[in-house]
Formats: sequence, structure tokens, C-alpha cells
Amino acid sequence: MTNVAALTVQAVSKAYGTRAAVVAADLTLQRGRITCLLGPSGCGKSTLLRLIAGLEVPDAGEIFADGRRLSWGGDAIAPEDRGIGLVFQDYALFPHMTALQNVAFGLRDMPARQRRDRAQAMLEAVQLGARGGAWPHALSGGEQQRVALARALARAPSILLLDEPFSGLDAHLKGEVRLSLTEALRAAGATVLVVTHDAREALLMADDLALMHGGRIIQSGAPRDCYLDPVSPDAARLLGEVNLIPGQVRGGLAHTPFGAVTATRCADGPAVVMVRPEGLRLAEAGAPAHVAQVRFGGGYHEVQLTAEGQRAHAHVAGSAPQAGQTVMVRIEPDLARVFPAGS
Amino acid sequence: MAVATGVLGSLAAWLVVMHRFPGRDIFAWALALPLAAPAFAVAYAYADLFDVAGDLRIWMRAALGFDLPFEMRTIPGAAFVLTCAFYPYVYLAMRAAFVNQSAHALEAARALGCSPAQAFLRVAMPLARPALAAGVALAVMETLADYGAVQFLAVQTLTTGVVRAWFVFGSLTSAAQFALPLLGAAALLLWIERWGRGGRGYESANARWRPLPVTALSGAAGALAALFCLALITLGLLLPAGWLAAAFLDVSPDWPRLIEAGGNSLTLAVAGAVVTVALAAALALGASRVPLLARLASLGYSTPGAVMAIGLLVPAAVVWRLAPGAAQGFGAGLIMLIYAYAARLMAAALEPIDAGLSRVTPSMVQAARTLGRSAPGAAWSIQLPIARGALFTAGLVVFIDILKELPATLILRPFNFDTLAVIADNYARDERLAQAGWPALLIVLIALPAVIWLTRKIAASRPGAPA
Repeated sequence: MTNVAALTVQAVSKAYGTRAAVVAADLTLQRGRITCLLGPSGCGKSTLLRLIAGLEVPDAGEIFADGRRLSWGGDAIAPEDRGIGLVFQDYALFPHMTALQNVAFGLRDMPARQRRDRAQAMLEAVQLGARGGAWPHALSGGEQQRVALARALARAPSILLLDEPFSGLDAHLKGEVRLSLTEALRAAGATVLVVTHDAREALLMADDLALMHGGRIIQSGAPRDCYLDPVSPDAARLLGEVNLIPGQVRGGLAHTPFGAVTATRCADGPAVVMVRPEGLRLAEAGAPAHVAQVRFGGGYHEVQLTAEGQRAHAHVAGSAPQAGQTVMVRIEPDLARVFPAGS
Repeated sequence: MAVATGVLGSLAAWLVVMHRFPGRDIFAWALALPLAAPAFAVAYAYADLFDVAGDLRIWMRAALGFDLPFEMRTIPGAAFVLTCAFYPYVYLAMRAAFVNQSAHALEAARALGCSPAQAFLRVAMPLARPALAAGVALAVMETLADYGAVQFLAVQTLTTGVVRAWFVFGSLTSAAQFALPLLGAAALLLWIERWGRGGRGYESANARWRPLPVTALSGAAGALAALFCLALITLGLLLPAGWLAAAFLDVSPDWPRLIEAGGNSLTLAVAGAVVTVALAAALALGASRVPLLARLASLGYSTPGAVMAIGLLVPAAVVWRLAPGAAQGFGAGLIMLIYAYAARLMAAALEPIDAGLSRVTPSMVQAARTLGRSAPGAAWSIQLPIARGALFTAGLVVFIDILKELPATLILRPFNFDTLAVIADNYARDERLAQAGWPALLIVLIALPAVIWLTRKIAASRPGAPA
């Protein structure tokens, strides 16, 4: 499969006053694929999105789409001339227009009749064909989002940006919305960038994943690779719960109170071992650990463990130990990584 | 005067917002109706009603054998008149403050052991303090700027000084000498008023709106509350307007002059409203980029009309010299006058427009941009239509104020160009009060529908509800 870059961000930086929001960020969007940009709030991911949309001008660096330079240090093509669609976090529907008028808003070049037909078709594509006459305030949150999506897609943008599409939704709606959103985006064949702080939704939705922290893109790649092989403790934390256990590397093995794990990339000396909660396993033989607390978490039990004054938590499927017990634990090598101390 | 407006306005607002009594829903908006009556009309009515040689006193002396112990043409008399005319400014500010208060804050106070009265005194009032300062400052500003009422009641103020220095002595310099301390006092008041607004931080913006806890007043207490509100409206509008109507409507007015002046008043008010709102809208849209601009433009609000007019005389003289012809001079004068109105009322128009535009989130404008509209295109298709109601409200506010405006019109109007306010003032100054009744009443009649529309809208507005 050959990947074609639809958009390239090269060493883009943006500061507000003395606060650097985006620092030398590099990002590539592949044509027809969904890229998720994941980061904690305030990490600069929304700024990067706005830079790509042309709503902000970068201080340095360049942004290209289809060989056309869109932004460069100090100046940028206006957002209306970029052909990039944006679905806002608050959807930004125009309250004085019906759903249909909202969708038709961007289609000014067409004759009125064609415009209405196209808008209606877009609404039908998001299963809202019957709600065209509704005012935005009469629509549910999920419906508003789909109108916003139809509005952005109506202009057939070369690239579509979605800002925190899951943030305004109830937890039980997220999965449903993700599925229908992914379906609509695939049907449109769009090149998509989704900005989110929700690790679960990002992992489930992304074809490609980019992790952002402190204004920098710290890792990009396939979701699975990012999850299993994070480049740093920061990257590991972004993608889900994690234990960071101090240990010592001796002869290619990192030793911790909860067991040892191979450390091929680290020199001897102090280190930090990153273990996902599901990578800390109860075993027949291993390191002894004290069970401090057990909580039922749905599909698993969350078990708080202490050993030699260190704490860690494990997600245990099946039968759980009792609080106060001493159990044997080991670290699953596939779900653990060793980093030099202080990284 | 300041104390009286503060007490009366706050009390009325507190009664109307926090209590239920007969007629409350009507009083909620009717209490602001005296805004339709220019202060000079109120002054004419009371001066005539309580005239030493008036029917009322003659009858009282004969029938009851005693005389009222006060005189209208004194400083307390003028204070009474201006309180009647200007208490609605405090009422509106305090009402907005009480309505905007989060019910949660009051409920938290109750949960922490306060009685309703304690909750009001210890939570609601302190929270509303900035609004009180702002409302009283507005009322005092209007007092400083008033010319017609104090002039008629023969009370010397800085504003009458400015106008007299110009008309009697023809001296721009001595007019300016009166104008400077006036401007200083006005600037101080503006600062107080802005400080009061700065206190908006006291309001919890995102607390969900819920009805405030309302106490039902029954029996005597309810009747007393209703009576108090009724008395305020009566003193501010019903009695003066009624007296003017009863006393002078049988006088046949100089119809052609009245009709011409009415037409002039309407034309000026409409043109002034359109120009001011257009400028204010442009300013409000641009203000996001240049915040200082809007603040500078708002300075005009504190400037009394007389001072504004004196300040404009110098550029006006230049214009008149450049366009010596009568027709051009006439046009230039009108433009000057509308400019003075716009400068003075810019802040009054900006406030509702800003509020209306705040309903447009930045993301809506940006969405329009990513959907292919330029920045002006987005303003035209998104911001202005959404703020449509606010633009109309702003226009009405300016319209009403221009109808009642006197000193700036007196100074800047082209020769022989009369408005209703100007001829009322002319008649009153010539001691032909009977003739002044008609134009004064006409102003009330023209302004009243606009005021009713405005106040009903204000009374219906609640945070969180689409305005």
C-alpha cells in the first residue's frame, strides 16, 4: 500500500506571548486515513489544529497540502481559501439558521436549487434527512454534531479536522457516536485529523496516531505500536493507566520489587520500568507482593499491591486475591518497557 | 438626590424580583416607564401643580386653611423632580443584578443558617453593590447633564452655566470654564460606573438559571408593596403627564410649529439612532481587535450634552466657514448635531450590541471562515443577523434619548430648526407654560411605546434565555 501525504506540517511553532503552545511540530496526514492527535488538555493540540485550519498564523515552520504551501512563518492563506473543513468542539451551528440552511451555508457558489439538493443529500448521509427544518437548539447533542459534520463535508474539503468530537457526549453515547462518525468519514473517503484527549476513543478510531505533549509531537505511528512501545513515560501515560516503578538495570535485566524484565536498550544503573496494569500478572512463582486493596472494576479487579515500599496496581481478570494476602507477581514483558531514570 | 434614587430604585427592584404581590408582573416593567418623560416635562408639571399662585394651593389655603410648606423652585424641589425622573436607572440596574444572581448563592446562604432576610442583607445586597454604584452613577450623570428641568426650576448648575455663558454672553471661553469642572465630575462618575460594571465578575456566569426564591406578600404587606410601586410610577410619569394633559390640553397650540418640530424630532431621532447603531455595530465588531477603541468611544456617555456641544462648536465653526451657503450650513449643522448625539450615546448603544454579539461564539465566526466566508462576510451573515434584536434595542435606546435631549440640540441646531424639546423649552422660558405642555406631552407620547417595548423586553430577559 502506498501512502500519499495529503497534508504535511513541518517544524511549526506558535507562541502566545512568552507561552509556547506548539514547538517545532511535525505531522503528516495520509490521504483517506483517519489520524488522531492525542494529548492532555493544554498540550497545544487545539492550537495545532487551528494552525492547520488557518485560524492561527505560525511563528515558524510550514504547512503544505497537495504541494500547495498554506502557512509559513509569519503568514498564512486565509481559512476560507484553504479547502479545509473544521468541525468545532461546540459544533458552532448558526442558531439563526435551520439544520438545512446550516449545511447549505458553505455552498454559496451553487444555484439555489442545486444547493438545497446537495445540503439535503448531506443531511441524509448522516441520517438526518427528516430534520432539515429543525433549529439547532431543538436537536440533541449527537444530532448537532452530525449536522456540523454534514456542513463541513458539504464543501467536499480535501482535509477534515475534528476538534474533540467526543467531549460533549455522555459516556454511553461515545461508542455509538464513534462508530457512526467513523462510518460517515469512511463513506466520504475524507482525509481526517481528529484531536482528542480521550485515549480509548483515539486508539479505537485512529488509523494513525500522533501523541502530543508540552507542545511537541512526541510519537507517531500505528495505535498498537504507540501503546505497546511508547518512546517515553509521557507517551506511555497518554495512552492509558500505567505503573512507573523505579528499579536497577544489571546485565540486561531491570530489577524491581515486582519482578525483573529484560532491558536491552538501557545501560546499567537506575531505571524506570513502565508496566500497564494488565501487564502486572499474578503468578505461581515470582516476586512476593502484599495486597493492600481490591476493587471490582467491571471486566476486571483493580488490585493495589505494595512490595518493598513501592506501590503498583494491577488489573486482574478472573478470580481476585483478598486484601491482606501476600501474592506472587511477575511482569509481562510485552506490556512493559524500561526507560533510563529521569526520562 | 443620589441617595433618594438609590433607596427607591433598590427597594423597588428588591420588591419586584424577590416577592409576589398583586400586580408584580406589571410593575416589573412599568416601574421603568418614567424614562419616557423628559425631566423638564416633569419639572413643568410639578412647578405648575405646586405653584404658589396655583389652583391647588389657592384651594388648600381656602378650604383647609394651611399652605404646603415647600416650594418647587428650590434645590430640594429640583432634587424631588430629578429623583422622580431618574430613579428608573437605579431600578433597572438593581433589577438586573438581582435577577442575575444565582439562586444557588442564596440557597447556600440559607443552608449555612441565614434567614431569608439575613440572606438578602449578607449575600444579595453585597453582590448587588456594584450595580447600585453603577445605577446611581448613571442617575447622577443624567442630573449633571440635565438642562431643561433645573433651568426651569431656577436652580443654577454647571450645565445651565455652560448654556448661559454661550447664549447670553456668547463667550466660548467662559462656557468652557463651566464645562471643564463638569467634565471632571462626569469622568469621575464614569469611573465609578465602570468600576460597578467591573463587578460583573461577582455573577456566576455558568450557573444554570433557576427561579429565585420568591416570598409571597399577602394582605397588608402585599398591598403596601403594590402601593409603593404604584406611587413611584405615579410620581414619575402618571401625575406629571396627567397634570400637563389636564391643565394644558385645552390650550390650542401653534399647530404648524408643533407639527414641524415633531417631524424634526422624529427625523433627528431616527437618523441619530441609525447612525449611532451603525457606528456602534462597526465598533463592536472591530473591538475584538482594538479593545481600547470601544472604551474610548464610550467616554462620550459621561460627557454632558452641553459640554459635548460646546466642544463641537470649534470644528462646527470651521465647517460653517467652509460651507457658507445657507443650505450647506443647514446640512452641516444637522450633521454636527447627529455627530454629537452619536458621540454621546455611543456607549448606550454599544452595551446592548455587545451583549447581543456575545451570543455569537468565536467558533461560529471561525466556522463561517472555514466554510468559505471572508471576515466581513462572516460578520454580515452570522454576527449581525444573530444580534438583530440587540441592534433594534440599541436603536430604541438612542431614539428615546435623542427625543428628550435638550442642551446639545439648543446649542448646535441650525438656525430656526426646532425640535419638540426646543420649543417646549422656549415656551417655558417665555413663561408660557401652557404652550409648553403640548410639545412636552408629545415627547412622552412618542417615547412611551418605545419605552414600553424596551422595558417589557428587559423584564422578560433572563440569563440563559435567548434574548
